Amino acid sequence: MASPMLKSHSHVAAALHPARRADLHGRCPATVHLGRFHDHGFRCSRSKRSGSAKVQAFPSLDVVPLMVTMVEHVEMSRDYVVTKSIWHISDATLKSVCKNASALVVNLQKHFGLKGKSLELILTRACGLNTQDPFYDSDAYRSQGGDGTVHWYYDKQEDLEASAREDLLREELLEEIEQRVGGLRELEEAGREEQLTK
Amino acid sequence: MQTPTMSTSMATTATTTRAMAPAKAPAPRQCCNNVLLPSTGHRRRSVVAWSAKKKNPWLDPFDDGPDEEFDYQGMFSGGKQEEDPRPPEDPANPYGFLRFPQGYNPELDSLASKVRGDVRRACCVVSGGVYENVLFFPVVQMLKDRYPGVLVDVVTSARGKQVYEMCKNVRYATVYDPDDDWPEPAEYTHQLGVLKNRYYDLILSTRLAGIGHALFLFMSSARDKVGYVYPNVNSAGAGLFLTEMFKPPTTNLSDGGYNMYTEMLEWIGRPAKNVPRQPKQPLRVSISKKLRAYVEDKYSRAGVEKGKYVVIHGIASDSVANMKSRGDDDCLLPLDHWAQIAKEISSDDKGLKPLFVIPHEKHREEIEEEVGEDTNILFLTTPGQLTCLINDSAGVVATNTAAVQLANARDKPCVALFSSAEKARLFLPYVEDKGSCTVISSATGKLIDIDFEAVNMAVKDFEPAPTLALAQK
Repeated sequence: MASPMLKSHSHVAAALHPARRADLHGRCPATVHLGRFHDHGFRCSRSKRSGSAKVQAFPSLDVVPLMVTMVEHVEMSRDYVVTKSIWHISDATLKSVCKNASALVVNLQKHFGLKGKSLELILTRACGLNTQDPFYDSDAYRSQGGDGTVHWYYDKQEDLEASAREDLLREELLEEIEQRVGGLRELEEAGREEQLTK
Repeated sequence: MQTPTMSTSMATTATTTRAMAPAKAPAPRQCCNNVLLPSTGHRRRSVVAWSAKKKNPWLDPFDDGPDEEFDYQGMFSGGKQEEDPRPPEDPANPYGFLRFPQGYNPELDSLASKVRGDVRRACCVVSGGVYENVLFFPVVQMLKDRYPGVLVDVVTSARGKQVYEMCKNVRYATVYDPDDDWPEPAEYTHQLGVLKNRYYDLILSTRLAGIGHALFLFMSSARDKVGYVYPNVNSAGAGLFLTEMFKPPTTNLSDGGYNMYTEMLEWIGRPAKNVPRQPKQPLRVSISKKLRAYVEDKYSRAGVEKGKYVVIHGIASDSVANMKSRGDDDCLLPLDHWAQIAKEISSDDKGLKPLFVIPHEKHREEIEEEVGEDTNILFLTTPGQLTCLINDSAGVVATNTAAVQLANARDKPCVALFSSAEKARLFLPYVEDKGSCTVISSATGKLIDIDFEAVNMAVKDFEPAPTLALAQK
């Protein structure tokens, strides 16, 4: 039951949601322009996807949901205040971090005269991301277990169904209320008619 | 120690103990569920009698029954549980994490809730397909009525899950086939994890449990594990892991027909302190607006108008979507018989059209061959859509499939064809109270020998719905 807990505090959910976070990326100072690495020639020409898009290298820390604030009272001393918070790196961020790290290693190796092509591949594979194959970024692969949040436990479908059933309950209630109100009205009208006939 | 919730299993022994110790003032010392305490001198002896008669002796061999010294009356008022107490939500609260979802409010749970045995989250493991799950609706309703504010989840097979599109009382419906004797280990453990994660108070199972299934229920870590067990030796050891067991009369639960879950209903609706016995509700299904619109579009494309067609359900088919009960083998009629009935319906001058509901596309050609090219055929497999279709129809002709129950649940005129009168009595015990349902049963005990004259007569009673139908059901 991961999701109801998450939903209950909205700012966490907002921070985890990749779409809502996207607008924060531009403003953040810690962004890296990936395009310049193309000159070095180690990148395949096919990599249209990450062409010159701005990818955030470090997670933005401006939205840090507060988990808990613990205050410890100690005699004859100041209070100890511990603030705990939690943040997650989104898939995209993680990917860009790995990419940049591997690119850095490869560049260094080139600089010292080593062959880096295969090494880059190995590094990216090791990081669990494949830059060559669009399949791994496609919906078919990602939709099951990767919506950008780094949780593994999804019951989106179940939540959808549950909310549909809640709607059903509400509809039924409304219908019932309408029927009752209608019945009451009929009764009232009947009473009025009786009064009129008297 | 015996808590009042557990002592319900001893309610049946009340009369015998009363015979043994009649001289006891009932008012102050009367413990829950009418179990009268015997006088102190005879206590030891009667305890033995008690534990021998208990339904589930596995649970606690040292169970002496209700405690004499304990004040059941004073502090813990009886009655039903309250709906989940929730503090008002404050958006400015920095401690947002303290807002627990509904049903998970540990810091507000009272001791009385423990003593009463409140059920905040219940899980139902329902065995069987569509028919069994449709008949399970009254049980869910009973849970809702008996335990106000309970969240009910369902675990059932893939076919059975589709039914819960029509049930407003259920929260989650999870697909896991409890009838599968050899589930994938990964699936099995995953399902256990899911169940444990939801922290159920009560888990109900309608699969007949042996020790294996009882273990499954036990490992879900629910507080009360309740379910059916095999009526034969296969139930050995199941009682170790269950808090309450029900024994059906046969090894096939569906043999009980409409009232197949009677024992379970009786147990859920049992009277407790200051709570009278909960009456059983009839089967009700609800339809969402979205589904209604979808099905309306579907049947208008099949060429029929609202209120001007008769649904025909129960064509012989080996499809899994034929929605028959496990308790009735002989419940599908071959196509040529249906063709006859359809002819009778369309020969009327009321403008009614027969609409064949097929569970698989392969039957379309057969019907077109047998009945005619211009027949209205609708391929439809889910029970929710079938209910919508029935709801908008002028009536239903069906054999003993879920369609009969759904038609009655929506109060639609219905002609039900049964293989024998006994089956009809089992599956439609409420038919006398309902004028809208006509039962026609075969005299020979075989559905194929059904009396077509009677069917044709009954079919002629269908009236098309008036065009300006404002009062929609």
